[in-house]
Amino acid sequence: MAVQTNTSLEKTPKSGSNTLWNIVFAALAVLGAVCWFYQLSKGLQVTNLGVYNMWGLYIVGFMIFTGIAAGSLLFAAVPYLFKLDAFKPYTRIAAYLGAVSSIVAASLFIIVDIGNPERVWLFVTSGNFTSPMFWDFIMLLSYMVISVIFTRQLMLVNAGKKDEGSVKPIAVIAFIAGLLVTVTSFVFCFQVARPLWNNPVQPLSFLVVALVAALAVQILLAVLLNKRGYIQMPATLLGKMGKLAAAFLLVELIIVVGEVLIGLYPGGGEEQAAFQWLVFGEGAVRFWIELIALVLAIALMFRQGSSGKAGSIVIGAIVALIAIYLIKSNLLQAQLFNPLITYPGPEVYGEARGSYVPSLIEIGLSLGIVSLGALLLNLGLTKLNLGNK
Amino acid sequence: MRYAMAIDLDRCTGCHACSVACKVENNLPNGIWWNRVVTVGGQAMDTPEGTFPNLHMQFLPINCQHCENPACVKACPVGATYKREEDGIIIQNYDKCIGCRYCMVACPYSGVRQFNWKKPEYAIEVAMGDAAVEPHQYNVVEKCTFCSHRLAQDMKPACIDTCPNRARFFGDIDDPDSDVSKAIRGRSYFHLLEEKGTKPSIYYLT
Repeated sequence: MAVQTNTSLEKTPKSGSNTLWNIVFAALAVLGAVCWFYQLSKGLQVTNLGVYNMWGLYIVGFMIFTGIAAGSLLFAAVPYLFKLDAFKPYTRIAAYLGAVSSIVAASLFIIVDIGNPERVWLFVTSGNFTSPMFWDFIMLLSYMVISVIFTRQLMLVNAGKKDEGSVKPIAVIAFIAGLLVTVTSFVFCFQVARPLWNNPVQPLSFLVVALVAALAVQILLAVLLNKRGYIQMPATLLGKMGKLAAAFLLVELIIVVGEVLIGLYPGGGEEQAAFQWLVFGEGAVRFWIELIALVLAIALMFRQGSSGKAGSIVIGAIVALIAIYLIKSNLLQAQLFNPLITYPGPEVYGEARGSYVPSLIEIGLSLGIVSLGALLLNLGLTKLNLGNK
Repeated sequence: MRYAMAIDLDRCTGCHACSVACKVENNLPNGIWWNRVVTVGGQAMDTPEGTFPNLHMQFLPINCQHCENPACVKACPVGATYKREEDGIIIQNYDKCIGCRYCMVACPYSGVRQFNWKKPEYAIEVAMGDAAVEPHQYNVVEKCTFCSHRLAQDMKPACIDTCPNRARFFGDIDDPDSDVSKAIRGRSYFHLLEEKGTKPSIYYLT
């Protein structure tokens, strides 16, 4: 096993900056809570959502963090299933990231999106088995249980209290659970009312994007934790992760370009308006930035060799995350702003047409949720032994 | 038994009386319309399509289609929207709705399901319409009920009785002697977005 040990952990100066980060994350989480209470008191009118674009930033956040959770589970499981020993020391961080930070963030994004969060218990007492959203709820719960058990098992193996072979069953379960991120895509692609989503490429796209999201976050974490001395991931491994992420992003780029060309080529049909909106209309700026970000992220992450320089891969990972945000956001808005029936009639509350920019409350709340995830991650890294030791 | 509605598009003059009757009868909050008359063709409501003198104006009243195979019912994660067994009406249970708006995403008939983005506010201080109408709630989705409170009192939906041109017909589609069955007999009709397979209960007569 290629576990490396570090005997020169610089505790004192680093722990100071660590505390500072915890305070920053906690403060932002409090800001998010304040935004949420404001939203609860005023209603969802404080968002920029409306009768057509009824889903926005919160749902995008949910999609991304479910993806990070699923991708992290896969990343944690694969080294044990396919004997990739070099990656095994880093699986605890991945499992924890999936177990706590991402699942908490994904769940909170749903909680803040719904109008009556106090009724969320109805998912348990009155769940509707035909609803893909109910399946998603089950999936998130199972992710939480699986990754907590998985993290614990990996920690026990690391502490020498368990045999490495004993984690294989839970690794298999985690691997299958990770692949089931496709269930999140069912929330969208099962809807006949939304032709842009209603196609079999969405489950593949969700899986690929989940993997890239998880890899990008793991890359950023690895570079940060390498600097902190928490782990020592060699540049070659970082490079491999970057190349893998770039390869997955390439698949997503093909999907995006393919969808757009297939949608535009006939010059008519029910998807035409949505693709026109996306490529040439109100959504064009964000669509073209998405394409540029995709290409740039692929180029930056493919370029990463074994030179030991992390610069290009870090920027690549950040650009990849921006691309992922835009992919999800554009997927949502292009369809929601172009429903099947668009005839003008009496004005309805929230009937904004054009494009959607999240309100400051939505942004503050989302920042709070992401910060809470980061805080939990940082606390986990500090309190639990997830690194090389 | 399955309630259905027929709307004769040749008779509809786009007067919006059905929309207003619905709004008053159900004491709808500001900005909420369960039943809207949209204009096919023009850039804005009540405007024709084409260029003068070749103009054409077609009105299309749209409310919940009370589908036989409703996409919203499948989508709702907590069963807050369901199809009533006895008459096929799609009901929205305000007390159960968590406000996730997934039913609005799932419904192909954009805009028939509307969300209370803020505490309901009303045009006048006193409540209008029937006292039996369920109070409107904050943060939930609502929509046309086929005036289920009126049906319970052996009356027809408010939009039916109000239409000055008698363009709307209502009744049990399984009963050949009902108003709706008689209205569609011998007439050509279509359902909105029939290709989506939702099997709407609204028949548009042409």
